[in-house]
Amino acid sequence: MIVPFSKDSFWKKALWVFNWQKKNNPVYSRFCEALGIDNIQSIEDIPLLPIQAFKDTKVITGEKLPDLYFESSGTSGMQRSRHYVTDPEIYQQSIIEGMNHFYNLDEFVIWAYTPGYHSNPHSSLIWMLNTLIERDESGLSKFLEIGKPINQHELKKIKQSGKRLMLFGAAFGLLDLLELGNPEIPNDSIIMETGGMKTFKREISKEKLHQQLADGFRLPKQNIHSEYGMTELLSQAYSLQGEWFECVPWMQVSIRNPENPMEVLPKGEEGLIGVIDLANIHSCSFILTGDKGILGDEGKFKVLGRWNPQNLRGCNFLIDQD
Amino acid sequence: MINDFQQHIIKVENAAKAWLQPDNLKLKEAIDKTVHEGLFSFEDIKFQIRALKQNIDSGQIAEWAKRAGLSGLKNSIGKKVLCLHAGNLPLVGFQDALGTILSGADYYGKLSKKDPHLLSSFLEQLKEADLENEISYSIELKTFTNLEADKLLFAGSESSIKSVRKAIDQIQGVKPDGEWVIRKAKFSIAYIDSEEPRVIEDLVEAVFRYGGRGCRSVAIVVSPTRFSKLKCHFQDYVEAFWLKNPQHKKPKEILAYQFAYNKAIEREQAWMNDFLIQETEELPELDFTLHWVEGDHQKVKELKKKYGNAVQTVYTTGKKIEEIETEFLSMAQRPSLWWKPDGVSII
Repeated sequence: MIVPFSKDSFWKKALWVFNWQKKNNPVYSRFCEALGIDNIQSIEDIPLLPIQAFKDTKVITGEKLPDLYFESSGTSGMQRSRHYVTDPEIYQQSIIEGMNHFYNLDEFVIWAYTPGYHSNPHSSLIWMLNTLIERDESGLSKFLEIGKPINQHELKKIKQSGKRLMLFGAAFGLLDLLELGNPEIPNDSIIMETGGMKTFKREISKEKLHQQLADGFRLPKQNIHSEYGMTELLSQAYSLQGEWFECVPWMQVSIRNPENPMEVLPKGEEGLIGVIDLANIHSCSFILTGDKGILGDEGKFKVLGRWNPQNLRGCNFLIDQD
Repeated sequence: MINDFQQHIIKVENAAKAWLQPDNLKLKEAIDKTVHEGLFSFEDIKFQIRALKQNIDSGQIAEWAKRAGLSGLKNSIGKKVLCLHAGNLPLVGFQDALGTILSGADYYGKLSKKDPHLLSSFLEQLKEADLENEISYSIELKTFTNLEADKLLFAGSESSIKSVRKAIDQIQGVKPDGEWVIRKAKFSIAYIDSEEPRVIEDLVEAVFRYGGRGCRSVAIVVSPTRFSKLKCHFQDYVEAFWLKNPQHKKPKEILAYQFAYNKAIEREQAWMNDFLIQETEELPELDFTLHWVEGDHQKVKELKKKYGNAVQTVYTTGKKIEEIETEFLSMAQRPSLWWKPDGVSII
């Protein structure tokens, strides 16, 4: 069961998880105690643990350190996030139920083009894609071979099966795939971009990326979708149109004041993205990310890149303040 | 011409000295207004002015001109320089303004709304000095519409540069081929290998003066001694400093959040009313924090390399660190007039 009390509201579930983790997660418990938080009156009162904690310590609710963990990618010597996963079935369900919330997964063949990710044996993205590929009984879902263009014959097989293609990949991986050849993919296919708009070598805006993907794959722009996920979360948000992400029902996003993360910012104001992810029941469900974002209607949110805190220190001429 | 330029240097020096006279009513009025409006503390302003007075009384203006090789033949006469002054410390723009005017260039200063009185009182004094170069200032950027300056000076970060560039382009403040001098340094590092009272006093001054703001302030200490060993000793010195120099600005709630985070991950730290000292090598992003790192000279070099142009200066208490330039810790808040922001000379 991904959510233990399916009839209750999100708030009640979040409150239960908050009390559970405050009691059983030593890291979160010390965090709440230092903030002087014991009882809470509303969901906004729940403190969000800075995501950096997954790099600095072991974030676990419970006593036993599980064998399975996900680790963020990075160059050698770089501090990586590690997310211990006590119950892999929860992640599995979160992936499948989460996608089924937005798509009918049975309609799709999943392809994944993930250069670079396979060198990380603890990649949560690879685990997620494996889950999606393995559940497709058609046998057509797979990881594409790195450095090889899309095979037209295999595309034909998907068409013949009556299914649609969903192609997963990080921003530059997908652009690199396009450079290998201009595939004629069926026009009902979905391209699922999983982020990575900024690497140490290249950077591209989301809008530009989506346009390039639409042009390259010769698909309407509305067929270019995005996923918002990270090692530290066992749930994902998806954007099916434009840049606004929508959460799965057991996940909620708020925008927090970077100078006071206990303060929830109103709709339209830029701040840090805060996430409540109830699938993180065995680690920490209340996370303050390092991403900048804004909230829109119906809980949808837009990701505006990494929060750059360097304005906060040193001599700095700010056009709107000085 | 050469003699004329020597006269120019003397006039600038005399004006600066006159401005710093204790009975200068304009400066007194500027200080009163700044304190009254709550922009900076009286103690921080006095400290800054005292440091400038010491430098100027010891002949540093003439020395700066000499070091820069200024003469009737080598100067910036006829060049327009637009300075965008930050307002994080009292008189933080003084060096840019003085250097520009001393070089003979025409000075156009966008004063910070956070420090509008102090620098303007100095500029008014210079205006009365019968200098040949133009001296113009305003707190409004639009005043400099169509200026088409030859050079622009300001301190910024990756994210602020974009908005500054846009605003400057909109008003055509700088020539299309004009020079942009952008400082990106954010903080300084100190290597501390002594617990002597003088050293700790200098360190406290270097860290806590102006609430730790400014790129010359120390935000990372590297020391062979762990902070936990020095904690109590250090706190006594800090409290003594604060008794004389109460911290003017208070930290935002994020600091309490950071404190709670450190507790959560069991990081060694000390919460000192309005300042947080933590044992970490991370980039010091927050105001009112000091990062303490256990390490040797090698660690200093490693951190300097890691944080690149965010580091302004590395201070030591005497011994040099091989391969890197260092300054005396005691000079952190009392730099010579010719100190180089981001390692680049102003003149």
